[in-house]
Amino acid sequence: MKELQFGDKIIRMEGVIVEVHDGCVGIDLKGRLGYLKIPMRMLITDYPLLVGQEVAWNMSFIEQLGPEANDKYVSNLDIYNRRQEEMRKANANNKEVEE
Amino acid sequence: MSITAETAKEHAKDPAVLCCRAEEGTVIQAANLEDPAIFDDLVDSGLLNLDGALTIEQVLGAKLTKTCDSLCPLTADVLEGVKEIEIPAPVKEEPKEEAPAVEEPQAVVAPAVQNVPGGVLKIHIGEGKDIDIELPTGLGGGSAVVPALAPAKAEAASAGIQEAEKPAEEKVVRSLTRKHYKITEVKRGPETKIEGTTLYIREGIEQECIDSQKLVLDLKIDVITPEQYHTYSETIMDVQPIACKEGESEVGSGVTRVLDGVIMMVTGTDANGVQIGEFGSSEGYLDENIMWSRPGAPEKGEIFIKTQVTVKEGTNMERPGPLAAHTATDHITQEIREVMKELDDSLVTDTGTFDQVRRPGKKKVVIVKEIMGQGAMHDNLVLPVEPVGVLGAKPNVDLGNVPICVSPLEVLDGCIHALTCIGPASKEMSRHYWREPLVLEVLHDPDVDLCGVIFVGSPQINAEKFYVSKRVGMMVEMMDVDGAFVTTEGFGNNHIDFASHHEQIGMRGIPVVGMSFCAVQGALVVGNKYMTNMVDNNKSESGIENEVLACNTLCPEDAIRALAMLKNVMLGEDVAAAEKKWNPNVKSTNVELISNVTGKPVELVKNEQSLPMSQKRKEKYD
Repeated sequence: MKELQFGDKIIRMEGVIVEVHDGCVGIDLKGRLGYLKIPMRMLITDYPLLVGQEVAWNMSFIEQLGPEANDKYVSNLDIYNRRQEEMRKANANNKEVEE
Repeated sequence: MSITAETAKEHAKDPAVLCCRAEEGTVIQAANLEDPAIFDDLVDSGLLNLDGALTIEQVLGAKLTKTCDSLCPLTADVLEGVKEIEIPAPVKEEPKEEAPAVEEPQAVVAPAVQNVPGGVLKIHIGEGKDIDIELPTGLGGGSAVVPALAPAKAEAASAGIQEAEKPAEEKVVRSLTRKHYKITEVKRGPETKIEGTTLYIREGIEQECIDSQKLVLDLKIDVITPEQYHTYSETIMDVQPIACKEGESEVGSGVTRVLDGVIMMVTGTDANGVQIGEFGSSEGYLDENIMWSRPGAPEKGEIFIKTQVTVKEGTNMERPGPLAAHTATDHITQEIREVMKELDDSLVTDTGTFDQVRRPGKKKVVIVKEIMGQGAMHDNLVLPVEPVGVLGAKPNVDLGNVPICVSPLEVLDGCIHALTCIGPASKEMSRHYWREPLVLEVLHDPDVDLCGVIFVGSPQINAEKFYVSKRVGMMVEMMDVDGAFVTTEGFGNNHIDFASHHEQIGMRGIPVVGMSFCAVQGALVVGNKYMTNMVDNNKSESGIENEVLACNTLCPEDAIRALAMLKNVMLGEDVAAAEKKWNPNVKSTNVELISNVTGKPVELVKNEQSLPMSQKRKEKYD
């Protein structure tokens, strides 16, 4: 496993909960630095969850592990995106028919 | 921060370092010393050099001959009146030399352990590892093992001891019989039926599944034979045995009929194509993503009846979505179950019986299994009418995640229908409970008395976590057990209650052994002084969530280690402290020690390295 070069440079990140689902939450990183969607069990909560609550965590910057793209993930992503596209279309068509 | 006399005693063999400036002539007391718990970080960052430092027990009471600053390691040249204490090796190197850390340093798996009064055989293993093994004498047939380790006080092992105290009678509380029916082919046909070894699934059953659930928009059935293992699949949500109860039997007793060679597999997306188990990304080619033969996973060669369920868009992460996908799939399983109930006994290929045996007089133990209860896919259906069914079961989230007592046979008979969440490598799917290795190992061990299994949910909010954990403590207290196992699946905030369960059980003076996937990525986020006995379920090469289904779940080898560890702890042995960083050698050393003592080799399961994998992935992850 490749060692991280800057893995010990830990910075405090803050964010705002923007989505609350039964199984996950969506978090906008403050300062428009990104978006995180994490399953419930990866979030430590002392209070009932609400949209707008602020959260914080420590993280390092993200580093590439190497120059190559992993074929497995490329292929999975392709299939997944294509299926999503097809299903969205089908779903939209179904709705039109229903209306 | 200075330490108390109590802490100094605990850390007697650790290096002595001043916590603050001390003047010449000061007599060193605990209050002058820094807490050794923080030394690793300081040494790593170069702030502290412990070369030549004396131990705490050596310096206590000695007089400083020179004024020293804070964080100054105490060496012989600045002290007078140092106590002469034999030290086996330079203090700094010691943690590395002591190989067994996270897990059991001693292995005692021996028949007739508890009914032998007194008579302890001490074994010392050399090679500079300083591992002392204590195991009761009167091993009988096991005596061949003892000389293999070291010649010792064998005279105690006289035959008379064994008969000195007759143990109380074993009692079979209840039995469960599994009748196996072999299936070699799965076909579609006009009606659901089983002919010989062929299972037919009714054509058109899909529409009924869809109609049965408001949220299910579509459902496809794929029959995957071994030749088709290299097919793309959506994330595998669950793997389930196909089983039904015979006649009036209830889950956990009587007769269960089960199909061999075929399993149910639940997969699905929402109407926009988003995975239902969105975070459990085991999508991809089946043969690259399944760790075969794990308790929860399919066996190589089995036929999968795979459903691909489409739920209403946006419901994949809400509670009703995953539940609807499971319920719709169970519609098919239920129809197969109805057919199985009518099967003739002539088709039975194998019969197995599990006895729930209570062993009064032996060490009484309980297994606490933590199951997920944070919501949505983090849920489990408890105690359905049929094995791993849906009907009659209550979601543990609705039950408030409070602890529920079940018999070991109920566990093995599918009393948990797991909705399963993340991650693929560490989640315990429904089939896992059906073949739960820890329950099997402890149930079949003649030296312990397994009184039952407690399932406790892991709620989302911390206050609720502690609420349910306190109930676990009370429940275990009332059981008057001599020892307890606490297991959890995966990692995340469930480790908070995992730690709390240890505390609640440990503070009642009951030895407790914990089991979880930890390694590198799942390292525990919290800890307490009762969490000293841990078994790591990791099997992956790099100690991470490797996206291979069931790779890092509890296996027989982990159950053997945990049981050996609990037996030791119940006998009053200490377990060595964990190393700072995950070290897979700890496990191999302990496994070796166990097999040396028991004389039985512990077979280790394969990991993801045995699967077909692209070269690039190999380079990156392992």
